Amino acid sequence: MARALIEPIIGRYGRVDVLGDPCRIYFEEAGQGIPLVCLHTAGADSRQFRHLMCDEGVTRHYRVIAFDLPWHGKSYPPEGWEKIEYRLTTQRYVETIRAFCGALELDRPVVMGCSIGGRIVLQLAHAHGTEFRALIGLEAADYQQPWYDSSWLHRGDVHGGEVCAALVSGLVAPQSPPEHRHETLWQYMQGGPGVFKGDLYFYRVDADLRGKLGGIDTARCPLYLLTGEYDFSCTPEDTLRTAGAIPGAEVTVMKELGHFPMSENPTRFRSYILPVLDEIRKAGA
Amino acid sequence: MAPEITSSEQELCSRFLAAIPSRVNADSHLVWRGRTLRADCLVQIGATAFLLRFDGGRIQECRADLPLPCPWDFAVRGSLRAWENLWQDPPAPGWHDLFALSKRGEMSFEGDLQPFMAHLQYVKDVLTLPRTSSM
Repeated sequence: MARALIEPIIGRYGRVDVLGDPCRIYFEEAGQGIPLVCLHTAGADSRQFRHLMCDEGVTRHYRVIAFDLPWHGKSYPPEGWEKIEYRLTTQRYVETIRAFCGALELDRPVVMGCSIGGRIVLQLAHAHGTEFRALIGLEAADYQQPWYDSSWLHRGDVHGGEVCAALVSGLVAPQSPPEHRHETLWQYMQGGPGVFKGDLYFYRVDADLRGKLGGIDTARCPLYLLTGEYDFSCTPEDTLRTAGAIPGAEVTVMKELGHFPMSENPTRFRSYILPVLDEIRKAGA
Repeated sequence: MAPEITSSEQELCSRFLAAIPSRVNADSHLVWRGRTLRADCLVQIGATAFLLRFDGGRIQECRADLPLPCPWDFAVRGSLRAWENLWQDPPAPGWHDLFALSKRGEMSFEGDLQPFMAHLQYVKDVLTLPRTSSM
């Protein structure tokens, strides 16, 4: 009988207190070296980084760690969730990341976030840059124009998972392999009711960062922004505009990629992210 | 007076009619995915409108030369360049999805959007069929 091919990813749970709420957070990790904390997109989970965690070109030098935000993936919502409407705020998001990094005693990690994770990376650069070795925003901008009414994401007469996936399907580049396209969409089909919508509260309402990103010191904490050309939610123009107000921010527009570069086309994504990770590593050597 | 139909509009309408409804109804899995959809959908290509009668995932009728008034449940209206770009293979960035086109003002969704949103991936896949030649 053939032996199962065991991947190097290890998953664990940890208790992290966020703004006074004890949260049981699920995280996965692989590799050794510089801690690289990965933040998933709205309405999804840490599985988006599974390819990165199985890439020896990355894990040879980086300890890649991806966690599920509370309410997402295998992290439960905090106790009492059934009595509230979930709404992610800038403060809660920042404190979740900082509390997670603190709980794991990570020494000046690199943080890489995508979409809402890319937006919060900008806030981290602005308010907490000294805590990080470098920051990487994928599909990141200080603001982007909404392109649908988010009330469709959570209502009784439309299946939430199916409509979430159908909406974001257009953000995957047409060239992305079907296997990875549909795996990316499956995560959206599995999200809890109202969770994607609650994440978009942060994205659309609470975290309009236009004009609020002054004082970012990219000499102390380098900031890399990479955006896929097929992302019409956070467009390359949105990222370029954002970077234009941050001296030293480096922008790359990624060809034939969309809003989920690490999961929709991992092979193409690695050609863009490996040089960035090498540069960060060599700068710290 | 009816607007003059350009040759590019005629070509786009021909591509639409070559793919829809035959390739929808011939695809048993696509029909299954749309099995709970029963609605009349107006599709507008430039100045030309078609009425698609969805019934259980099949297209029971694809009607042109619509009477006035013509009732429908929801409508998807696109400019000529919206459909022309959407059906390129591969399409250019920002022209590759119904909502990308809507965001740039080249497409609109009207009427009762519940059946549209409840079957969004199915409708997207149906309306994108002309991107590829028939199999």
